[in-house]
Amino acid sequence: MSEPLVVFKDVIKRYGDFVAVRRMNLVIHPGEFIAIMGPSGCGKTTTLRMLAGLEQPSEGEIRISGKQMNEVSPSERDTPMVWQSLALFPFLNVLKNVEFGLKMRGTDSASRRQQSMEWLDRLGIAEFAERDVSLLSGGQRQRVALARALVTEPQVLLLDEPLSALDANLVIHMQGVLTRLQKELGITFVYVTHSQSEAFAMADRVVIMNEGAVLQVGSPQSVYRNPASRFVAEFVGTNNIISGTARSVKSNVVQLESNISTFKVSPSADQQIVEGSEYSFVISADQVSLSSEAETLENCIPCSLISEEFVGSVVTLFFEDESGTQFRVQKQQRDLDSLNLKIGETVWASWETRHAYLLPEDN
Amino acid sequence: MKESQSILLFIRLYIIIVFFFVFSPILASFVFSFNSDRFPSLPLGHFTLKWYEMIFDDPDVWDAFAVSIMVSITVGIISTFIGFCTAYTDFRYRFFGKNIYLALALLPPTIPLVIMGLAMLALLSRIGMSGEIHSIIVSHVVLCSPFAMAIVRMRLAQMDPQLEAAAWNLGASQWRAMSTIIFPFTFPAIISAFCLTMAVSFDEFAVAWFVSGLNKTVPVIILEILQGNVDPQINAIGTLVFIISITLVVIAQIIFMTKSTKSAHGFRI
Amino acid sequence: MPMLIWQLLFFVFPLCFLVGLSFWVVRNYRMTPDFDPVNWIKMYNKGYFWDAYFRTFVIASMSTVITSVIAFPCAYGLAFKVSANIRRWAVFLLIIPFFTSYLVRVYSWQVILGTKGVVNGFLGYFGLGPYDMLFNLFGTLVGYLTLCLPLVVVLQLISLASIDKRLIEAARNLGCGTIRTVFSVIIPLAKIGLIIGAVFCFILSFGDFVSPYYLGGSKPPTLSILIIDTTKSGQQWPRAAVVALTMIATLLAVAFTAVSAAYRRPK
Repeated sequence: MSEPLVVFKDVIKRYGDFVAVRRMNLVIHPGEFIAIMGPSGCGKTTTLRMLAGLEQPSEGEIRISGKQMNEVSPSERDTPMVWQSLALFPFLNVLKNVEFGLKMRGTDSASRRQQSMEWLDRLGIAEFAERDVSLLSGGQRQRVALARALVTEPQVLLLDEPLSALDANLVIHMQGVLTRLQKELGITFVYVTHSQSEAFAMADRVVIMNEGAVLQVGSPQSVYRNPASRFVAEFVGTNNIISGTARSVKSNVVQLESNISTFKVSPSADQQIVEGSEYSFVISADQVSLSSEAETLENCIPCSLISEEFVGSVVTLFFEDESGTQFRVQKQQRDLDSLNLKIGETVWASWETRHAYLLPEDN
Repeated sequence: MKESQSILLFIRLYIIIVFFFVFSPILASFVFSFNSDRFPSLPLGHFTLKWYEMIFDDPDVWDAFAVSIMVSITVGIISTFIGFCTAYTDFRYRFFGKNIYLALALLPPTIPLVIMGLAMLALLSRIGMSGEIHSIIVSHVVLCSPFAMAIVRMRLAQMDPQLEAAAWNLGASQWRAMSTIIFPFTFPAIISAFCLTMAVSFDEFAVAWFVSGLNKTVPVIILEILQGNVDPQINAIGTLVFIISITLVVIAQIIFMTKSTKSAHGFRI
Repeated sequence: MPMLIWQLLFFVFPLCFLVGLSFWVVRNYRMTPDFDPVNWIKMYNKGYFWDAYFRTFVIASMSTVITSVIAFPCAYGLAFKVSANIRRWAVFLLIIPFFTSYLVRVYSWQVILGTKGVVNGFLGYFGLGPYDMLFNLFGTLVGYLTLCLPLVVVLQLISLASIDKRLIEAARNLGCGTIRTVFSVIIPLAKIGLIIGAVFCFILSFGDFVSPYYLGGSKPPTLSILIIDTTKSGQQWPRAAVVALTMIATLLAVAFTAVSAAYRRPK
């Protein structure tokens, strides 16, 4: 494991009485694509800005390549950013925009031009070099912003929701461009977004934040399958959360009694279960099977169909169980055809114990 | 519909009448400056240039023009500088007492000029500065810098606030970011502000009258002539002043409007 | 930062000095620093001061109302009934007088409105007049109108043009006729701009001395003329300072009241 590139040590950021970032300890490794995600106002943009030097931590320190960065101004850091609004300089043409960082470093004009043209070529927009930035399309401007940030060959690239203003199919395309670039160059990408799909599609690791606190850090798969808290479970993926009282613990299976039924959940290795306490577990909507008869699977509830939602080939079905709580199931369109469900119809939803994930103590 | 057609016509006519009212004294002055009658009326007298000849021959008028021009250029430079600094400070920083700061900056146009003139004269004469040209300059700068500030501030509002941070992020120091990003962008506003403050200073008479002593600006001369009696020379002077002022205002408007719409468009996502 | 220093030095300080000055005493035609409220007492006891005060206040109010009412249809037309191009030209044309010599325009009016002037000459062809349009209230008001009208039209125009057009469409859609829309929808929405225009007009009219002096006959005097008279005769600057400060206090009170009224939320 190589030396970490970026270290956040006990970093806190306050604005007056408002705490934007609570005690943050985070390590970013060289060459990784890390995504910081969370709802608006969770502190992810503040974190990025602290990395860039546009904000200073109220407490704690940030180190890049081992050097303490607290007193270093943004101009002296090597952390170029791709901005949400792209921030392309309107009175410079494409080429001059890309050359800007090199010009600030004092690179001579011939080398500047050559390096910038190489990058424009690499991103497929070399033909627009002399053009006014306002005449380019969204996707082309996006690539100019990328070229401008990458031309100085930094160690870290910061990206602040760069795809949020693009059309849906362009987003998919750009995700591919970014992932490919990152792998080729080996540069560390720190990517901030509120979109789960973007983060999960591109990142090696994701950081989930809410209200200034880091809730979970891990690979997309691990966060998806093993959410560390109720918030993460609700924020990531399509999950159902059921609460109940622990009734018995036998050979690594907990029996949870809710107001509808009794469920079996397997806790993770280090979880201590106390009988009589309240717990919640998560069952992902795509792990649920549907059938018209009560199954003999260990976990099973009757529910009636309220509505359906189509997102491409995946359909989300909204059910209501006997207590009136909403329950969601996700299926591929082609699997549903054989079931022939109608609104108001009662079916049995069931799942295997091993797919249910027990959440840590409710807080 | 018939009804809205006639309303439309009425409104358009009304607008024209209002504009006619606003411009008639200016037009009249222009026409009368070439009119032979001392007391212009209908029908008009014959065309003449004698009033212009009279003022061109009058050394006091030439002196006054020189003073006016010198004062207005100086005032333009200082006001634009101060206005720019204030606008930039307002744009970039948030600090305690900012509202008071802004109020102070924008208050001068609301105080009647007579009072400003009186106050300035009272103070400056106590410290022995009255009657000198710099007292006029000082007073005018107080008056004009709010305009400069407003113009530059409006232009800055059109700029993506992240542009400056983007420049720092790419390695530009604060000064370099200022010179490569802020200045080029606000340049049309700076020129506009300069022209406009020059025009305001050139026309301003009340404070100048109080404060100028022996160094008279053109409007002060006009005031003095006016206090005598009706004199058509005023029309000639007035027309010249008008031409100068309007040239400055036109330059300001053209630069500001064309350049700013052009670069602002650079920015639609 | 430099702005703050400059303003403090050359703007705030002279005004504060004025306050101090109002307490000085004039002995033997010379001003001597003192702290004597005699000037205030004397001035406030003089009938002519209060006459001038109320006169100025009333005339300025009249000017404000007249200017705002005259300006509104013009601003309305420019905001809604003409093309964007014409609107830009109109604003440009309206800004011109603002920066040209007010003095010369007033002098022009003197000529145009005189008993033997252009207007009377024109009316004479129809056997009308001659009318006394100068050296009375009418003249003063014409002067104030010349001073304020362009500014008020521009301010009203900016306010009206920035109204969300969809709100007007919604009103029409719900059955509001044109006139009713103007009064129940447009004016309330543009309230702030209209009030600010009126406040500026009042401030300008209240403090101006050129119009009342050259077009209004200067007797009975307005406060501004009073200041000049007091200064010119006998060096009575402290008394002039009293008048000036009273004016400032009045203007601040009026501006503050108007702006608070403008920004108050409707219940």
